[in-house]
Amino acid sequence: MQRRRFSTGRSLIAVAAAVGFVASACGGESGPPTVTWYVNPDAGGQEQLAAQCTEAAEGEYQITTALLPRDAPGQREQLARRLAAQDPDIDLMSLDPAFIAEFADAGWLTEVPDDIAADVTDGAVQAAVDVSTWNDALVAVPFWANTQLLWYRKSVAQEAGLDLENEPVTWQQLIEAAQSQETLISLHGIREEAYAVWINALVESAGGQIVENPDAPANEIQLTVDSDAGRQAAEIIQLIAREGVGGPGLSNQDEEGAMHQFNGEESAFMLNWPFVWAAINGAVEEGNLTEEFLDDIGWAPYPAVAEGEDARPPYGGISLAVSAFSDVPEAALDAAACIVTPENQAAYFAAEGNPASHPDAYENPDVQDAFPMADVILQSLEQAGLRPHTPYYNEVSEGLQATWHPPADVDPERTPADATTLITEVLRGERLL
Amino acid sequence: MSATKVEEPTRTTAPEQRSERARAERRLGWWLAGPAFVVLLAVTAYPILLAVYESLFKYRLTDPDAREFVGLRNYAIILTDPVWWRAIGVTLLVVVVTVAIELVLGFALAMVMHRALRVLRPAIRTAILIPYAIITVVSAFAWLYAFQLDSGFVNSWFSWVPGITPETDWFGSFGPAITVIMLSEIWKTTPFISLLLLAGLSQVPDDLHEAATVDGATWWQRLYKVTIPNMKAAVMVALLFRALDAFRIFDNVFIMTSGAHGTEVVSFLAYRQTISRLEIGLGSAVSVLVFLSVIVISLTIIRLFNVDLARARGEV
Amino acid sequence: MAAERRTTSNRAMWIVIAIVVLVYALFPVAWIVSLSLRTSTDIASNQFLPGEVTWGNYEGILVGDAQELFLSALRNSIGIVLIATFIAVVLATLAAYAIARLDFPGKRVILTTALAVAIFPVISIVTPLFNLWRTIGLYDTWPGLIIPYLSLTVPLAIWTMSAFFRQIPWDLELAAQVDGATSWQAFRKVIVPLAAPGVFTTAIIAFFIAWNDFVYGISLTASERARPVPAALAFFTGGSVFESPTGPIAAAAVIVTIPVVILVLLFQRRIVAGLTQGAVKG
Repeated sequence: MQRRRFSTGRSLIAVAAAVGFVASACGGESGPPTVTWYVNPDAGGQEQLAAQCTEAAEGEYQITTALLPRDAPGQREQLARRLAAQDPDIDLMSLDPAFIAEFADAGWLTEVPDDIAADVTDGAVQAAVDVSTWNDALVAVPFWANTQLLWYRKSVAQEAGLDLENEPVTWQQLIEAAQSQETLISLHGIREEAYAVWINALVESAGGQIVENPDAPANEIQLTVDSDAGRQAAEIIQLIAREGVGGPGLSNQDEEGAMHQFNGEESAFMLNWPFVWAAINGAVEEGNLTEEFLDDIGWAPYPAVAEGEDARPPYGGISLAVSAFSDVPEAALDAAACIVTPENQAAYFAAEGNPASHPDAYENPDVQDAFPMADVILQSLEQAGLRPHTPYYNEVSEGLQATWHPPADVDPERTPADATTLITEVLRGERLL
Repeated sequence: MSATKVEEPTRTTAPEQRSERARAERRLGWWLAGPAFVVLLAVTAYPILLAVYESLFKYRLTDPDAREFVGLRNYAIILTDPVWWRAIGVTLLVVVVTVAIELVLGFALAMVMHRALRVLRPAIRTAILIPYAIITVVSAFAWLYAFQLDSGFVNSWFSWVPGITPETDWFGSFGPAITVIMLSEIWKTTPFISLLLLAGLSQVPDDLHEAATVDGATWWQRLYKVTIPNMKAAVMVALLFRALDAFRIFDNVFIMTSGAHGTEVVSFLAYRQTISRLEIGLGSAVSVLVFLSVIVISLTIIRLFNVDLARARGEV
Repeated sequence: MAAERRTTSNRAMWIVIAIVVLVYALFPVAWIVSLSLRTSTDIASNQFLPGEVTWGNYEGILVGDAQELFLSALRNSIGIVLIATFIAVVLATLAAYAIARLDFPGKRVILTTALAVAIFPVISIVTPLFNLWRTIGLYDTWPGLIIPYLSLTVPLAIWTMSAFFRQIPWDLELAAQVDGATSWQAFRKVIVPLAAPGVFTTAIIAFFIAWNDFVYGISLTASERARPVPAALAFFTGGSVFESPTGPIAAAAVIVTIPVVILVLLFQRRIVAGLTQGAVKG
C-alpha cells in the first residue's frame, strides 16, 4: 500500500523525465523555457510531479529539479546565499514556511498574481495560506502542510488507562501514563529546529505566543515567551527531562531518532509528523518491523497543555515560491499552480506521507487507504499554531534553542526570561548568537 | 614570522664586476618567486583587509538596504558578549589539552619509528600516515558514530567502566562531548606531530647517546639530558604548528555537536554569524578577532619558549 | 640500541609495539568500513562488526538515489584539488628554485610570509571571500574554491620544496656544462631527475591538504556544481528526509579514503621525508 522508499519507480521517473526532455527539446530551435525547481529531498515525489506538469504544459515550459540540503536551516542557508547573489538559476523553490517571511521581506520572492492566488488559496487550510503570505500579499503557493500527531502503542495506552481514541490527552496525563508503564515518550530535544518546533507548540497550546508582533522591524519585536504560557511550556519540558521519560538521548534526538526509539521496545508514545506512518509501513514491508507492531499503533491529536483546552499542534510543510531573479517567472508560476492541484497533492500525500494543504485531497481514496488517520491530520492542521511569522525567525529559533537546550536544564522561572533577553538583544544587534 | 631572530647572512662585499651579475640574480629571484608571493598575499592579506573593512558595518545579507557604518561597534558587541569569551575558553581548552597529549603521544610514536626494527618501519610509517592523510570530516564521523547512542559500540564495550552504561549519552553534555571531539582531533593530528619530532630525533647525534651510555646514564636520564634538549627546536616547531592548527578547530565540532552543549569554538562562532545568520558585519568582526588571536598566540609561544624557527630549519 | 643487542624478547616487544601502533591507526578506519557494509537496522545494533554484510550503501551512492550528490562531489573534489595542487606546485617550484639557488634579498620575507599564511585561520578568509565571491560571481564555482585552496597548498609547497631543493647538488649542472652539455641538456638530464622526487612528494602533500578542506567547501559552495566531498558528506541525505544517512556516509567516507590510502601505501617513505624536511630541516 505504501510505495517503497528506494524503488525502481524513481529510475522510471528519471527515464520519463529524460524522454520528456528529449521530446520537448526536439520541439523547436530554442525549446520551451526551463523552470528549475529546487526541491527538498524526498523519495522522488516532487520529481514525478515535475515530469507530470512538464507533460501537462505541452511545450509551454519544462521543469527540472535540483536538490536542496536535508534540513530546513540548510535549505535556507543555501537559498539565501544564492538569492542574495541574485542567482538567476533558481526559478521555483520548495520553501519551509519558517523562512518565507524572511525571503519575502528581503524582496527575493515574486508576488503571486491575483488570478493564480485566488485559485491556489481557494479552500486551502488557513495556516498554509497564512505562512505563504507576507505584507498582505501571497508570496508563495501552498503545497503540502505538515503537522504532528501523538502516535502510541494501543496496548500500552490501554494498560495505562488512556482512551486516546476518544479522549483528548494532556501532557501531564501522558507523562504519568509513561511513568506508570515505565516507558518513554519519543520527542525531539536536539538543538535544532525540531526542538524550536516543540517549544513553540507547547507555548501556543498553553494559549501564548513567542512573539507578539512578528511583522515588526527587528528592533521593535516584542517577545512574549516570558509569560504564564511560556513558563507552562518550560514546566512540561523540565518534567519530561527530569523524570527521564524522554529517554537518555533526548537532548540529541531529532524526529528520525524519535521514530527509531518508538520502533524499539522502550518507547510507547511519540510526537511526530505523519512521515513516520509511511516509514514504519515501509519497514514492515521490508521485514524490519512486525505486522503486530503496526497493528498496535494508534494515533491521536497533539496533547493539550491544560485539560479542556485544544492543543495547537506544530505546523510545517512546504510552499512553492518563485524567485524574484528568475528569468521565467510566468512559467514558474504556472508550474507552481500545476504542481499544487488537489489531485497532485493527494498523489504526493499518498506516495510520500506528506499531508496536503487542501482539504479536497483528504477525500482521495488512495489517501484514505494509505493514511487511515487522514481526518485527524486535517483536523490538526486546522488547529495548528504557527511559528512566529517574522523575517527574523532564524534569530528567534536559534535564540530559543540556545536558551532552552539542553531540556534537562530548562527552568520555568529562568529559561523563558533568558530567552526573551537573549533574543531581544540579538534582534537589537547588541549580542552574538 | 617576523620575530625570527636571525640576521641576513652577511656576504662578503662583491667586487664591481660581480655587482651586475648580482643584480641580475636578484631580478631573476624575484621573477621566479614573485608569483607565489603575490598569490600568497592575494589569498590572505587582501581578504583579511576586506574583512576589516566589512567589520565596520552593520550589514545583514537579507537586508542590504539597512547597511550602515557603525565603526568599532561590532567589536564592542563581541568583546562584551560572554558567548565570545566562552568560545575562546573552549578553543583554548582544546588547544592546551590536545597539544599536551599529542606531544607526549607523538614523541612516543616518533621514538617507535626511530628505533623500531628495520623490517617493521615501513609498516609503522604507513599506519601512522593514514590518520594524517584521512579527511578530518571522515575521522569526525567515525568517532561520532562510535560513541553515538544509536550506532556506537563504545558503551557496550566499556560498560564495565564505572559511569558508562548502555544509555550514556556522550553528546548529551559538555564534558563527554568535548572529550570525543578532542579524541578525534588527537587521533588525526598526532601523526603529524610525531613526524616533526622524528625529524628532530634524527638530528640528535648518536655519539652523544653513546657517550652518555658509557657514563652509565639510565634510559630516562639519556632521554631527559641528551635527547630532549637536543631536539628542543623540533619540539617548539611542533608545538607552534599544532597549537595554531588546533586553534582553528572546526570540522570535528561541526560534525559532532554543531556547537551544542557549550562546545562552540571560535571558528564555528564566526561561521555561524556569517554563513548561517548572514550577518556579514558581525561575522567579519569575529573573523578579524580570530585572526588577531592567532597572532597573539604565535607571539606568545615564540616569546615564551624562545622558538627560533630559522635555527630549527638548520639555517644557522 | 645497537643491532647486535637485539634479542628474541626485544624482537617480540617491537612486534607488540608495532601491533599497538597499527591498531591505533587503523581502528577508526576499520569501524567506518564496518558501518559502510551494514543496513540501517544492523547499524542500530551497537556492535563493532556487521551482522550481515551488504553492499547496499555503496550501490546507493554509486548507482542509486544518492549518486547525483556523491559522484558530482567526487568529481568536484578531484578536479578542484588537482588543479589547486598543480598551480601550487608550479608556483612553488619557481619560488623554491629561486630560494635555494639564487641570492636575492627578500628570501626570508617569502619564507616568513609562507609560514604566516600556513598558520592563518581559514575562517578569517572565508567570511570576506563569501561576500566577495557572491558579488563577483565566483560563488559556488570551481575557481571559487581553487583560489582559496592556494592559501592552503602554496605555503606548504614552498617550504617543502625549498627544503628539497637545498639538498640538490647544483654544481652538477655546471659540471655537466663543462663536459659539453648545453645548459638545457644539463638542466634536463641532471637537475630534473634530482628535483623530480621533491616536486612529486610536495604534490602529494599538497593534495592531502586540499583534499581535507571542509571550511571553504561548505562556505563557498551551494550546490552540486562545486561542492567537494567533505562538505557533501555533511549534507548527505539518506533515501528520504528522515532516513538515517549513517550507512551512505560511511560508504562515501570509505571511497574518499581509498585514494589517500593508496598514495600512502605507495609513497610512505617519500611523504615522511617531505613532511619532516619541510618542517624542520633546511
